[in-house]
Amino acid sequence: MITDLWTVVRKEWLEILDQFMRFKRGGWTVLLVIFFLGVFVPLQIGAEWATTTVMFFYWPFLTASMTSTIVSDAVAGERERHTLETLLATRLPDRAILLGKVIAAVLYGYAFALTNVGIGMVTVLVRFGDDATRMTWSRFFLLLGLIGSSSLLVAGLGLLVSLRTATVRQAQQMFGVFFLVATMLPLLAIAIAGAERQAAFSIWIAQQGVEGIGLWACAIASALAALLIGVALWRFQRGTRALED
Amino acid sequence: MSPYAIRCVDVVRDFKSVRALDHISFDVPSGIVFGFLGPNGAGKSTLIRVLLGLTMPTTGRTEVFGVDPARDGDAARRQCGALLEHHGLYERLTALQNLDFFARAWRLPPATRSARVQELLTRFGLWDRRHDKVGTWSRGMKQKLAIARSVLHRPPLVFLDEPTAGLDPVASAALRDDLARLATDEGVTVFLTTHNLAEAERLCAQVGVIRAGRLAGLGSPAELRERRTTAALHLRADGLADQVWSALGSAPGVSRAARNGDNDVRIDLADPARVPELVEWLVGQGVRIHEVRRERATFEDAFLDLIDRQEERK
Repeated sequence: MITDLWTVVRKEWLEILDQFMRFKRGGWTVLLVIFFLGVFVPLQIGAEWATTTVMFFYWPFLTASMTSTIVSDAVAGERERHTLETLLATRLPDRAILLGKVIAAVLYGYAFALTNVGIGMVTVLVRFGDDATRMTWSRFFLLLGLIGSSSLLVAGLGLLVSLRTATVRQAQQMFGVFFLVATMLPLLAIAIAGAERQAAFSIWIAQQGVEGIGLWACAIASALAALLIGVALWRFQRGTRALED
Repeated sequence: MSPYAIRCVDVVRDFKSVRALDHISFDVPSGIVFGFLGPNGAGKSTLIRVLLGLTMPTTGRTEVFGVDPARDGDAARRQCGALLEHHGLYERLTALQNLDFFARAWRLPPATRSARVQELLTRFGLWDRRHDKVGTWSRGMKQKLAIARSVLHRPPLVFLDEPTAGLDPVASAALRDDLARLATDEGVTVFLTTHNLAEAERLCAQVGVIRAGRLAGLGSPAELRERRTTAALHLRADGLADQVWSALGSAPGVSRAARNGDNDVRIDLADPARVPELVEWLVGQGVRIHEVRRERATFEDAFLDLIDRQEERK
């Protein structure tokens, strides 16, 4: 199983690298994004960039967005490019195919985030020297956990959407709607909760602190991701649904 | 190894309101090239999917070397290579990367993987282009690479859906020779679909004809030709007086007669075994026969006849 997973991950990464190494298309966009997030934003935020609370929100969000572009292509792309049937005619197990695509997408998210975080750290150290605040190891691992769990969650959702659509474009459109609903729902729930509940929630958040909230977010995102990926694995079965959806 | 590479027993496959396979039953012996012919939409690709375990039959049963793909798809697929309706190559990857991926997917040992990939790329004349992205290739080159992929893991059964589509005549001929050698020298069973009847007749030991999901005919190309409902006789003769001509319709073994000029006659035979009797009758009527030539039905005639008869049965 591990070998089969690696076979799929390797193939996915070769395709991702091809897509973004073509400077006429995605390559320039990626470089611009890296410059913006890794150089421009840290310089704007200043010496405290590494320890700002907002980092624990926008990195997982950004990573999830990047992961979604990859995972929308996972099955819908294979179907659109007429490679799915041939792939299913090999010995690769259904699980290896799907999980390999999930892992490839999550690794892409990690690579994106860690590259930008690394460049950002170097930027602030070069610019601000000893004045630059350092991220503690606990916060660093928390950030890794948030990036991973948000990527997994998005990968699970994107996979389910990709299984249902015939083209990548449809998958991206449908995923966009789900993503919007998923991000707006919690805010909506808070907004309609009433003043008393909102106040209680605010107190609870203040008591938890950044680390506490981060851990809760990791746990909830991971649990949801496991559920979504489980459903995707159940749906993606040769001979029953995979080719006929 | 089972004497049969493929067995189909009363296979039915329905898609909502469409019956794609309608009580298909036939066997394919191991080690031959078997042609599966039929018009577009007849059910050829659907049957291949069923045999690979990619689609389940609604009812009925199939076997690939004794394994039911519906119960154990992995065991069935392990014995198969496939070039399906689309070539299934990753166009963002190079030829080398494509074959390497599929070699890993088929769990070829690392020690032999590279050598096998190189062997196939060289055999199909693609080695010099191995680092090119497949998306930049011509259709014919992609087809060759896809065929190379289908035999990468040396399967005992290979499904080829129109393998010579897009190939030039030289490449087609070379591929036909390769496929024939696969069967005769390596004992590989080749199950191919094609619209090229001449190719099927030349290459296939046995042929199945499918129309609208139903099996219309099964046998060797020679058998199918012989089974064609009518055979014809060409006669060059003189002395065909009017009364002889009018009696010809009821002569031994004749169903119909038509003139192709003064001395040329085409006779549709109801009973080909009575040709000697017919000739004797003609001579007895004073006809001077210069040439008698049996018109053999072509494979195309046999195929079209089978398709038409299947249509009539509907």
